[in-house]
Amino acid sequence: MVNRKLAKVSTFRYKILATVFIVLAGGLVLLPKHEKHEGIKPELLLANLISTERYISTDILADKIINNDPSFILIDVRNEESYSNFTIGDALNIPLEKFLDEVSINYLDQNQYDIIFISNDNFYAEQAWMLGSRLGFKNLHVLEGGINKWFNTIINPKKPTETMPEEQFVLYSNRKAASMFFGVAYPEQFKPAKKDKAIVKTKQPAPPKKVIKVKKKKKAPAEGGC
Amino acid sequence: MGPLLPNGIIPTEWDSLIAILIGLVFGFILESSGFSSSRKLAGVFYGYDFAVLKVFFTAALVALIGMYYMDYLGYMDLAQLYVHPTYLWGAIIGGIIMGVGFVSAGFCPGTSLCALAIGKIDAFAYVGGALIGIFIFSELFTLFQPLYDGTFLGNVTLMDTFDINPYWFVFIFTLIAILIFVISDLIRKRTKKQVYN
Amino acid sequence: MKELEKTKRISIATTLFILIVIMALLAYKRPIHIYAVNTEHTLEKIVSKDYFVSLKEINNPDYVLIDVRSHFEFEKGHLENAVNIHTSEILLDNSKKVFDELKENGKTVVLYASNTNEASPTFLILYQLGYNNVKILNVENSYSNNQLITKSIDVEKSNADIKNFIAESVKKAKKVSKKNVKRPVATVKKAPKKIITVKKKKKAPAEGGC
Repeated sequence: MVNRKLAKVSTFRYKILATVFIVLAGGLVLLPKHEKHEGIKPELLLANLISTERYISTDILADKIINNDPSFILIDVRNEESYSNFTIGDALNIPLEKFLDEVSINYLDQNQYDIIFISNDNFYAEQAWMLGSRLGFKNLHVLEGGINKWFNTIINPKKPTETMPEEQFVLYSNRKAASMFFGVAYPEQFKPAKKDKAIVKTKQPAPPKKVIKVKKKKKAPAEGGC
Repeated sequence: MGPLLPNGIIPTEWDSLIAILIGLVFGFILESSGFSSSRKLAGVFYGYDFAVLKVFFTAALVALIGMYYMDYLGYMDLAQLYVHPTYLWGAIIGGIIMGVGFVSAGFCPGTSLCALAIGKIDAFAYVGGALIGIFIFSELFTLFQPLYDGTFLGNVTLMDTFDINPYWFVFIFTLIAILIFVISDLIRKRTKKQVYN
Repeated sequence: MKELEKTKRISIATTLFILIVIMALLAYKRPIHIYAVNTEHTLEKIVSKDYFVSLKEINNPDYVLIDVRSHFEFEKGHLENAVNIHTSEILLDNSKKVFDELKENGKTVVLYASNTNEASPTFLILYQLGYNNVKILNVENSYSNNQLITKSIDVEKSNADIKNFIAESVKKAKKVSKKNVKRPVATVKKAPKKIITVKKKKKAPAEGGC
């Protein structure tokens, strides 16, 4: 009995299959369309945002630059004018307006380096960080306080007062040495005639510009065929 | 999530292993559906057996509809799929040569290897000829290169060239495929039945 | 009978195919939070800078102040009529309801935090989720004698001309050094150019064939 019924159904088998295809393909046309989700989920973005892991302090950055740490790229997201006036170390300039250009994306979307965004304060850098993070770029960081804090802490450190704890003095002397590295000269460097010779000699101009080459995405042609 | 390889869910080191696995399954299915018989394959051209056409068209349909559903449901990103680059004249001339070879020998390169595996003598000749052809092409590559690299159209799909909604394209493509199945079936009924194995 | 066996194969394959599609449809969950704005438009918004509200304007009846600092900070002191929704809570159902309601009523949400920098990422998340009625209050909040002091500030203002500062300092130092001992200032050494190549992760193209 069952076999006979099956045989009866089987005569329609191609028609059934054809209907299934048409229904499925028609479903694709009729299904409600929604905007494609671009980038990581909002929940994840928020979680990344709340974590303060992305901040890099000016002291750490100064240390990295002085030690020629090869593992990071500085990216200055201010406009070209401010960039040409002053930038930290050997930063690259990617103004926010050009953030999503193909050339910029090639720098930003990679796994090899830590990327540190800098701007005058956190504002632009954070916005750059938000955009990049949403698109799922890795190893993005923000210089905490931006160039203004860089000026206040590294270039022009405040002398601690006598009553401050000793750590402050250590920090100050470190920062002062760093500021000398970045080109600031102090009058007292020259007072004692011979002692400071070594320090002055090793003083360097702004670190050399890093030349960063980005390879264009190339699609290797795949061979196929039957 | 998908496609699995470009998104790094399957590391690229597994490429070869996956290729072997897929190849095994593909070959097994080709052989078990009788595609290692050159008579069955050539039947498409003589009108007595359209199995090849039906199988490959159905496979394309299933893959197409399935992929669009997966894309719609967010399991896969169609934009990341690899699209084979189109070299127009190379494709046309290559297609003609392959078609002629297909009719006269009754094999396509995939099925010829399948037939070779089960020890068909004509498949030996076919594969040998293919290898000689590859050798000649490689030796004279500088001669063929303008044709090979010429009229590059980029990684285009039919949706790009016709600039239509991909979902409608899928629907129309399905209708066309089913129409072709019906027509091929009518032709098969008209032509004289061939008995072969 | 042979014909029948074939049918079984086909029907089994078809059923499986349909089952898988149905299962995928059932397993599909539409995410609660969906970006309404893509990154390109977000970037345009960022560059346009029309999302600032200054301290003078907050008395506008259409503006609803939202304090995105923590509850603790909010309790210590906050602006008048402000509602407290911490940044970490903006995606919760309750907050979503608040934002949806405000959007429907045509109100403008004005976010503020300790300073403008802190409010901006929160603003960006809300904006990308489609709340185009969100703005940032351009202020800095600090405490003095347990009193909340709110000041207008400029974002991204360069506080110091560092280039000049360095040049000045060198000049000054030179002057002092001239008085003391005449000596050339630091010899300038040029370090060799560092060349860094960024290797792109190659997306392996899939090989096709039949």
